[in-house]
Amino acid sequence: MRSVAVVGTGQTKHARRRDDVSQAELVREAADAALADADMCAEDIEAVLIGNMELFEGRGLPELWVGGGAYGTGKPVMKVATGGTSGTSTAIAAFHQVGSGLFDRVLAVGFEKHSEGHTQTGMALTDPFWDRAVASGALGNFALSVSQYVAAGHATEDQAALVAVKARRNAARNPHAHLQMPDLTVDEVLASKMLAHPLRMLDMCPQSDGAAAIIVASDAVAREHNPRPAWVKATATRHDQCYIGDLDRRLLSMRTLRDASAHAYTQAGITDPVRDLDVAEIYEPCTYAELAWYEALGFCEAGEAGRLVEKGVTSMTGALPVNPSGGVLSTNPVGASGVIRVAEAACQIHGRAGQRQVERADLALATGYGVYAWADVVVLGSEP
Amino acid sequence: MIRTESIHIPFTYAAGGTSSIFLAALRDEARILATPCPACDTVICPARSSCPACGGPTATPVDVGPAGTLVSWTELADGTTLALVRLDGADTSLVHRLAGGDGTWVAGQRLRARFGESRTGAITDIVGFESENGAGR
Ligand SMILES: [Zn+2]
Repeated sequence: MRSVAVVGTGQTKHARRRDDVSQAELVREAADAALADADMCAEDIEAVLIGNMELFEGRGLPELWVGGGAYGTGKPVMKVATGGTSGTSTAIAAFHQVGSGLFDRVLAVGFEKHSEGHTQTGMALTDPFWDRAVASGALGNFALSVSQYVAAGHATEDQAALVAVKARRNAARNPHAHLQMPDLTVDEVLASKMLAHPLRMLDMCPQSDGAAAIIVASDAVAREHNPRPAWVKATATRHDQCYIGDLDRRLLSMRTLRDASAHAYTQAGITDPVRDLDVAEIYEPCTYAELAWYEALGFCEAGEAGRLVEKGVTSMTGALPVNPSGGVLSTNPVGASGVIRVAEAACQIHGRAGQRQVERADLALATGYGVYAWADVVVLGSEP
Repeated sequence: MIRTESIHIPFTYAAGGTSSIFLAALRDEARILATPCPACDTVICPARSSCPACGGPTATPVDVGPAGTLVSWTELADGTTLALVRLDGADTSLVHRLAGGDGTWVAGQRLRARFGESRTGAITDIVGFESENGAGR
């Protein structure tokens, strides 16, 4: 595959409600920001990819209703769907479209307007025979695996609360973030409402309205449009079994993310991720998941993730800042969340992350998470 | 301008051949069936036509449970429980609910399926799982 880079990123202001814009206008807001960042105009874009969680809004065929908003009229337009990983998969599909030589300039945009739908209903539309009859959507599903993770001694509620505090404090330096809580404390997290044992309100991601876009370009175009392109060093995606009873140690093993990251690290020449990576934007649906991902991503040995966050290794001033943006815990328009991870990682390489910029970002990781059924891993670098 | 409405979506959904046998056995005989995978040497519950791990065809269904072991559980804010139960004879877990008791459950404890009186061919023909020594613990 030829060299491919992210040359522009754009995000809307993410919020609980964006009643001021339609879905198409929300997508347009992110697309315009990304085009401006890449110093391109809409006519330069040859193909458009769209990420969205169908049924989280009250209408089908999102690619139809927002295609024009994404400047897709007269161009190849399609939606990429892999559950919560849709956003990262959309970005990866764009990398392949450009890497294969099919196009030189592709716009990938993800969006969600949770406020316009009924997310709980969308999440409950699982298999009617096995899941829907007894389970009640994502929260119970998370809680089952999290309680197992806690029972195995891999994390305490205090360590999980530290993740919640880190995320919301980081988000306070990100102008796009939904939940900005610069003064949040561990005690406040522990005092928040218990939703499904052991998950509390502030352990969980919010539901946001928002969109994010990236411009993906081939080698020569990338050098013209960004002084410091974010080159695609590696991508990997993994799918796994859907029935949660079939893989009942999911958070403890998280083999999708473990396999995908091992494959991506090999491609990118990463042998010690904490040492080699400069920043990571990981898709963490809840605090405990971030800790479990540290293990699956090889940031630490099994059971050591809590100590990693206690020592501040993944804070803004640590050896490997994780989620300077505030992560999914602070902003979660699901169809956009994966694109946001890639956009934030690219933005760090570009050196355009403002107050959330880490020092010397030459190698950045972005991940996506689609319940336990998908994991995506992307590595971006300052050199092709 | 903001428009508010709701949609009712009627649908049907086929369980497929092997899972239909599982659901009929549950309804008619209060038996829980699982399918062995000859390639993986594992027994998969609920019974399915192909192995979720290797994708290969499964063998003739066998009986598992009705007793088993609690693998993991949670309680939601509305008081409902959600549990993974490893039935005796099975190598995968069933996603279900816990029934009765005082709400104190411990991973590893022994459970037994409680079947409903009038059964319809649904996983909820098992009302839930109770402590093997009677309701709760
Ligand atoms: Zn098998």
